Amino acid sequence: MELTRRQLLALLGAGGATAALGGCATPTTAVDVGAPGFGEGARGTVEMWCRSDTVNGVQTVVDAFHAAQDRVRVRLTPIQNGQYVTKVATAIRGGRVPDVIDIDDIYSTMFAFRDVFTDLTPLVEDLALGDALSPGHLALATKDGRHYGVPFLGDFSVLFCNTELFDRAGLDVDEHTASFDGILEAARAISALDGDTYGWSYPGNSSGALGFTVQPHVWATGTDLIAGDVGDQRGNVAGNDALRRTLDLERTLWQEQLVPPGCFADDASRWSADYVAGRLGMFPAGYGIVAPNASPELLERSRVVLLPGPDGGRAFFDGGDNLCMPQGGKNPEAAAELIRFAVALEQQTRMPDGFYSPVRSDVVTPEFEAEHPLVVPTLRSLDAGYAPTTLAYNLIYNQQDGPWLRMFRRAVFDGEVDTAMDEAQTTYDRILRQAQA
Amino acid sequence: MSAARGTLTHPARTGLLLVAPAVAFVVVFVMVPLVSAVGISLTNLPLIGSWRFIGLENYASVLTDPTFWRAVGYTLLYTAIVTGPILLLGYALAVVVRANRRGATVLRTIFFVPYVIGLTTLSFLMLLEAQPDSGMVNVVLRGLGITDGSTAWLVDGPLASGLLCAMVIWAVSGLTMVLLMSGMQGIPREVYESAELDGATWWVRERTITVPLLRRTIAMTVVLSVIGSLLAFTQFYILTQGGPGSDTTTVVMAIYRRAFVQLQLGAATAMSLVLVVITGLVTAAQFWLLRERS
Repeated sequence: MELTRRQLLALLGAGGATAALGGCATPTTAVDVGAPGFGEGARGTVEMWCRSDTVNGVQTVVDAFHAAQDRVRVRLTPIQNGQYVTKVATAIRGGRVPDVIDIDDIYSTMFAFRDVFTDLTPLVEDLALGDALSPGHLALATKDGRHYGVPFLGDFSVLFCNTELFDRAGLDVDEHTASFDGILEAARAISALDGDTYGWSYPGNSSGALGFTVQPHVWATGTDLIAGDVGDQRGNVAGNDALRRTLDLERTLWQEQLVPPGCFADDASRWSADYVAGRLGMFPAGYGIVAPNASPELLERSRVVLLPGPDGGRAFFDGGDNLCMPQGGKNPEAAAELIRFAVALEQQTRMPDGFYSPVRSDVVTPEFEAEHPLVVPTLRSLDAGYAPTTLAYNLIYNQQDGPWLRMFRRAVFDGEVDTAMDEAQTTYDRILRQAQA
Repeated sequence: MSAARGTLTHPARTGLLLVAPAVAFVVVFVMVPLVSAVGISLTNLPLIGSWRFIGLENYASVLTDPTFWRAVGYTLLYTAIVTGPILLLGYALAVVVRANRRGATVLRTIFFVPYVIGLTTLSFLMLLEAQPDSGMVNVVLRGLGITDGSTAWLVDGPLASGLLCAMVIWAVSGLTMVLLMSGMQGIPREVYESAELDGATWWVRERTITVPLLRRTIAMTVVLSVIGSLLAFTQFYILTQGGPGSDTTTVVMAIYRRAFVQLQLGAATAMSLVLVVITGLVTAAQFWLLRERS
């Protein structure tokens, strides 16, 4: 049989496409973690991935797990933070997945909504913690009422206050951090103390860090920058009064030189430097940013409050990690045992040792509060924690060429607040449309 | 008699056998991936989840996506800015080192080292050296009295682009130098000697002998340089990540974002194929412009 050139090309095309797409099989094996006897006496090795930022905290839990039993060993693989989503997605597409992944909760959503994680609802229900288990974490891994991840560690954005500077300026932490007017008044008073002291700070060239610390001001009013449910979301930027007032506040802080000049170019590589040096009155950041770098004396005179809205209300970014089980893992029973162990009270109580927050509020006892006072405010107000449930968080908020950073810089440093918000509205809508296509 | 029924000594059959390995290589490593890519571009294949055929939707989306065309425009502008200086600087360096005189080898090494170090390493170094106040770029400019040393190079689109272009021109000129130098060394010495006897100056010899005889080499270096610029990614990813805003987002970076941030392989593949067409058109135009004229 002879083939014409056209037939040969058609055959090549069909074969190539079939080969290319055929290799893109997604594992669909469903595991019922609620089945009677599931996970009892599990044995073998658990392959676990974690992001490099959280490897110390995860390793502590893994070491404790090994010390507690000798049936299951955990092989922990840290993955560079910026590559984590891609690596996990590629592993799922390739059908060679780890048993457990410790994933930034903000990225749980895109996997949960694509049905590639095991339903862990029975594990969550067994904990019987209700709202004492970080609702923000859980919401990000929940689809149609089913939980595809279990909250593991907290990385919450809060406002650190240097009480020594507050006292010197004659300010009250609670009163002057309750609204934007109070913040401005405090920032002006603290900046006036001496030429090297500033009231506030932000890493003006770090999209992710700004998303972490600035958005809660908007959320404190009960609104978000993204509106609607996943699948039908659009931007809520243009005309968003809370956002406008937030950008105005950051703009005023910059104009009046109440933030260090380095904020203009800071990509978060020097994020905590001014605060740990004692030169900042108020510092929006996470416990893991401040605690490892600050002296015990500074931590002693620091107070933590939640981030305020323009006229009151408080909120924080409910960040951190969820533990999830990609479908197709080789040892799901041992993986489930590890997850149960990781969220148990004993392990959660030790989270601040790795500079993270627990995700369950029942860890708070008088002893815990005395030892970790800076971690407690968020645990006492877990319901004020929030993070947007969307498939496009990464592109909008964590990429340097995303619309969030562009809007912030244009509004704050160039003073074009309305134009920046209008432009961002268009880009938010386009990105959300593409992500939900 | 057809070639298929010929003997091994038949010229056509022998020729086919000789080119077969090359053809097989091209089919396996170029044609099959290309055809597969076309197939993938006609689907909504995500990095995770199920997929379906969607016809030409991806192409319609790409062709109407202002972000993509902004990235194309920026990439073409970047290419236009760096190509000339790379060629001119590379040519000048080649002139300096083409003669086998004392010190030429050392100079060749010095000029070629940036290319050997590579854009990845150089970009990480530049990331540090471009920092306001502390980076060497700012320290030098402050020392020369040109700036106050606080310039934030990487948070301003034009400044970041200027810095990137300067770094790339410096890094890549070494390769152009080597290619042109080898071409220059292939020009017979006698041609220059006879020109000198006729009283030709250095400039006249370069213009009437070196450049015409280097025409094909120059064409090759320009084509390579342009293709490299159209596919630029590493230095932008490390230094600016496409920002501020999308001011320094190149086409390949836009494709990368679509594939590995939005996890949309089908759409990213369609963007890649559009880039293949653009690169092909630009290259064809270069071949036409740089063709031998009788």
